[in-house]
Amino acid sequence: MTLQIPLPDGPLRPRPVWKRLSYLVRVNSADPTLLLALLLLVVFGYLILAPVLLLLVDAVTVHFADLARTRQGLGDLTLYYLTRVLISPISRDLFWWPLAHTAIISAAAIVLAFLVGAPIGWLLSRTDLTGKRWFSTALLLPYMLPSWTFALAWLTLFKNRTTGGQPGWMETFGLTPPDWLAYGALPIALILALHYAPFVVLLFGNALKQFDTQLEDSARSLGAGPVIVARRIILPLMMPSLVSAATLIFAKCLGDFGVAYVLGVPVGFDVLATSLFRAISTSQAGASAVLAGMIVLLGTLSIVIDMRLLKEAKRFVTIGSKGAMVRQTPLGKWQMPALAWAFTVFLVSAGIPLIALTLTTVMRVPGSFSLDNFTLDYWIGTDLGTTALHQGILLTGEFWLALWNTVWMVGIAALGAGTLGLLVGYAVVRSPVGMVSVALRQITFLPYLVPGIAFAAAYLSMFAVARPPLPALYGTPVILVLAILADQMPFASRAGISSMMQLGREPEEAGQIVGAGWFRRMRSIVLPIQRGALVSAILLPFISGIKGLSLVVVLAVPGTDLLTTYAIRLVDYGYSQAANAVVVMLCVVAFTGTMLVQKIGKANLSDGMGSK
Amino acid sequence: MSAITLENIHKSYGRTGPDAIGNLSMEIGASEFLCLLGPSGCGKTTTLRMIAGLEHPTDGRILVDGKPIVSVSEGIFTLPEKRNMGLVFQNYALWPHMTIRDNVAFGLTLRKMPAAERDAIIDQVMTKLGIARYAQRYPAQLSGGQQQRVALARMLALNPSVILLDEPLSNLDAKLRLEMRAELKRIHAEAGSTIVFVTHDQWEAMTLATTIAVMSEGELQQIGTPDDIYERPANRFVAEFVGSLPINVIERGEDEPGPLRAWLGRLLVHFGVDAATVASAGIRPEATRLGVLSEEEVAKRAAGQGTIVDIVPTGGSWIVELDIEESRFFAIATENPRMKAGERTHFWVEREQLHLFDREKKRIAP
Repeated sequence: MTLQIPLPDGPLRPRPVWKRLSYLVRVNSADPTLLLALLLLVVFGYLILAPVLLLLVDAVTVHFADLARTRQGLGDLTLYYLTRVLISPISRDLFWWPLAHTAIISAAAIVLAFLVGAPIGWLLSRTDLTGKRWFSTALLLPYMLPSWTFALAWLTLFKNRTTGGQPGWMETFGLTPPDWLAYGALPIALILALHYAPFVVLLFGNALKQFDTQLEDSARSLGAGPVIVARRIILPLMMPSLVSAATLIFAKCLGDFGVAYVLGVPVGFDVLATSLFRAISTSQAGASAVLAGMIVLLGTLSIVIDMRLLKEAKRFVTIGSKGAMVRQTPLGKWQMPALAWAFTVFLVSAGIPLIALTLTTVMRVPGSFSLDNFTLDYWIGTDLGTTALHQGILLTGEFWLALWNTVWMVGIAALGAGTLGLLVGYAVVRSPVGMVSVALRQITFLPYLVPGIAFAAAYLSMFAVARPPLPALYGTPVILVLAILADQMPFASRAGISSMMQLGREPEEAGQIVGAGWFRRMRSIVLPIQRGALVSAILLPFISGIKGLSLVVVLAVPGTDLLTTYAIRLVDYGYSQAANAVVVMLCVVAFTGTMLVQKIGKANLSDGMGSK
Repeated sequence: MSAITLENIHKSYGRTGPDAIGNLSMEIGASEFLCLLGPSGCGKTTTLRMIAGLEHPTDGRILVDGKPIVSVSEGIFTLPEKRNMGLVFQNYALWPHMTIRDNVAFGLTLRKMPAAERDAIIDQVMTKLGIARYAQRYPAQLSGGQQQRVALARMLALNPSVILLDEPLSNLDAKLRLEMRAELKRIHAEAGSTIVFVTHDQWEAMTLATTIAVMSEGELQQIGTPDDIYERPANRFVAEFVGSLPINVIERGEDEPGPLRAWLGRLLVHFGVDAATVASAGIRPEATRLGVLSEEEVAKRAAGQGTIVDIVPTGGSWIVELDIEESRFFAIATENPRMKAGERTHFWVEREQLHLFDREKKRIAP
């Protein structure tokens, strides 16, 4: 066959439309990717988009309880809640003061976190500090544990007579801490700062690590002194990562419920998250929707700023990455002071609080170091003579129930989030319709913009009543599992998308060629290749789900308590030793989990940093 | 051993996008070893993937042994997994999580057959391709050449009716290319399979294929034996694309400087060609003869004259760069020309070595 046969051009022939359609159906019949993408879109539309939208609707429609006050019909559009929260006389207590407190605390936390974290970031990335490896895990410890753990530890040390229950250590030593030291803005800001300082350590440290020393050297060789180099070369290039860390800390502080709840609420110091919690627990659905909406708005703003800056940062990175050289600065005679500083930060941010917490659980009167004061009663005692909780927590059914609940609920949620995340990745990367891809990517990212407590409020709006096909879910474990799952989707879907991007089409196409259908390809080729990614996409949400409080505190009831909510309930009852014991157990679980993840997967804590 | 027919194939991406393939028709005979040759972006890989079923045409028909496997107008589309075609990917696409043996075995495990029979096939194929001793290794532990053998084995184990290869030699070093070329020729000779492969490398095309289809911008330019393609290029594109040293092209347009154009005019008169239809002419460097001639011989051969700019020995042949009043002209001498840069020389060409093209850049017969 050596001749080209010219044939008349085809499309001129008329043909029935349905033939063409049936052809397209045939082409896509064996590839359910689009179907999968649409299905996922429906699922997440229902689990993520609908609750958030409903929340916004709740903020501007009349609820049953307010029929009389608004003099409007049920479900009518109203500005009542907006005015109530933002303008009315009680708006000061409901919104403006909490907003001011939140602003002050976030600002202080950011400044403190930088003062603590930036030098550490430099020490760990650019110097020959002794024990760098150990420090780089130890100094991230605060982030691996729930933030309010440290609030409890603070109370253990500094609690005074203003609130009831067991006295703090200082009190026992004979020094009564003043209220400003024991509660309110100062300790909250300090604890949040120490908790989120690892952001600065990681982001700033990583940026420094990638920073080409040749850039410094060339400035030096042109005659610039070290101060000028720092101010004109290093600082501008570090700016994106610094601002990024700051906005992240802000977003986190905004949604952080536990610390303010433990240290602020007893003295009437409210932040937005606790104000929202109170609105929810006093069944003010409209007001809580408005408050949650405001938090979402602020969260979105900060993330948008962050994304802008990250884009800027990327532009920078492309400039100086080729042949980058990183030189380690020898510390010399500063070795000891640097070491001392790093170790002090470790002690203050992790060591002392954890030791204090642990010690409290074996002391009758906190802070009294006489031998007869020590006891294991709070762990394994019986007949304790208290109103409730007659046994040590290891003998208490509720504790084991909470532990079991934590493991299975967070476990299922993480399993679901990881698997769905991978499927989302597949659908986003392979979907033949671009629009579907984009929508799926955006919707699964949405919870990232919504702080946990606001997301929980959204879930209440959505699932407190029956929403076909689901019945009313409040009080059931299902709502918790769904909420945790949805809340972990931003991380899980990012992980899925990036690992699917790296996979490429060929391995799957090769399977297709040798005769494997879609499901067989998924089972034998795609999923096995992505096993590592799947493991970390399940384990990282599990770790972060275990320590999460702000999301579940609104949704859990005594029967569906998790370790976090159980501990908070004990705090409410004033059983501080038992609460601390639960927290210690929680820390053990979270820490072992994190270490396990780092061992098993190549997953790094810094990868999980973006997740909640 | 199947014949493949492409009929009026169109392929466009997106609703409004331009055609990546515009009205492609081609017949590939049973047991043919056909190469789709063209520069990157010419649609050759898309064509290969459409035959495999990994892409679907927006219009047209694809037939195997006269039966349509794709027909847009009739709503027919046979899924790739049902076509029994073997495809070897450019980067081999071995499954990284399976051992070499599992890679080769995977396709067979999808088919119902006794385990003993399956094992026999796998062993036979792996032995034939010399990869039996790597059976328990993983793809990442093999070299590129070994990986390609695994990819071939994986494909051959299924005894496909059509073998498709995407740039089969491009990722190999010079020695492996020769080996693999022999291997592919052997496979073709032994099994008599229909083989279609894609390449942008004319050496690959020339040395492997029995038939070459040259493509450009989604259109078939010429299809024929390697000798046909080289000796009788159907148009300027084929003439310029094929040939290791680019063909010398003389335009008869206004912008071509005088002496070279004038020489072409004399040449056309000399060969008795009707000059009116000729828009350009091509002369391959190796068809160009060089030497200092007597007046008589210059007239007899209608030879031109130029100055030698450079002589590059390439081992066995010499590339001679000529300057003809500001125009560059390349010649390849198979014997040492024994001349120096700056010397004047005559050059001439035989009638059958002169390729003439009309205004549409099509070849003027013969």
